[in-house]
Amino acid sequence: MDARLRRVNKEIADCKNDKTSNITLDLVDNSPFHLKGSFPGPEDTPYQGGIFEVDILIPDAYPFQPVKMKFTTKVYHPNVSSASGAICLDILKDAWSPVLTLKSTLISLQSLLCSPEPNDPQDAEVAKHYTTSKGSFEETARYWTHIYAGGPGTKQSKGSAGRDEVAIAGLEQAHVDQFESLGFPRNKVIDVLRRLNYRGANVAQIPEDRIVEELLKV
Amino acid sequence: MKVIIKRWHAVAQWRWDTGVSSDDGDEEGDVCGICRVPFEGCCPSCKVPGDDCPLIWGECTHVFHMHCLLRWIGTAASNQQCPMDRRPWVTAERKVKNLVPGAGAAAPSAS
Ligand SMILES: [Zn+2]
Ligand SMILES: [Zn+2]
Ligand SMILES: [Zn+2]
Repeated sequence: MDARLRRVNKEIADCKNDKTSNITLDLVDNSPFHLKGSFPGPEDTPYQGGIFEVDILIPDAYPFQPVKMKFTTKVYHPNVSSASGAICLDILKDAWSPVLTLKSTLISLQSLLCSPEPNDPQDAEVAKHYTTSKGSFEETARYWTHIYAGGPGTKQSKGSAGRDEVAIAGLEQAHVDQFESLGFPRNKVIDVLRRLNYRGANVAQIPEDRIVEELLKV
Repeated sequence: MKVIIKRWHAVAQWRWDTGVSSDDGDEEGDVCGICRVPFEGCCPSCKVPGDDCPLIWGECTHVFHMHCLLRWIGTAASNQQCPMDRRPWVTAERKVKNLVPGAGAAAPSAS
């Protein structure tokens, strides 16, 4: 049996035997080199209550090459691409070491959710949101945890059926209504306000003309 | 030729003295951190444990199968650092003593 297979099988078994970490590893299509990992969102963070799934690919030269991981659960976080789930974390790149395991790497992802690094972002728009208005960022991250990761409801989701596109984009209902009332389509307004980071203190910085100008483009 | 083993006598048992006690409750202590095979076994590229698949110690006191460590140090990604603490790898001179009686004189000189 080849070394990589033996090590991965052992790691999967170790993870199954460990009941305390709440980390799971499951096979995807019967190959031990394509796995699905999951872990609960850390407490006292906007990710609390959610279960986050990660797609795991074991490269041929594992453990001498880093394992490939990306979120399949959508996560609102400066170091995770909100579109693709790609992760910016040093140990998945040049700080990899062969003594790291699937479990320890998943635990590192869990800690990444506790401590965002906005200065080394994977998603620049989310990072801007985080740095300019943390409260609003956390509300959006909580909403994403609720709708995508099965986390508890937030105040925006109360009573509203379906998904709230404005809350997903981390914007204020009133701001979207304001520009929509000028005759622009709602999804375009959401797109432009999100791109310009029209949140918190930034709202006073961006003149309405600038927004309208953007809305008239394309 | 086909050989059928009918009976065998165990005359000796040996193990590497890694300086890590196996009874201190630390399960990871006796396992090579790179391949996760116990030090008593050989690295994944060897078939027989023993002198041909020695252990290697760093000045930092971390221990690995020599073959595993050399393979890692040979990759550009390693930056020639110890996989445990990322300090520059410096092989320590160390004589293996305290082998369980009956074992051969196994003294991997890693240099
Ligand atoms: Zn090894
Ligand atoms: Zn070997
Ligand atoms: Zn070391």
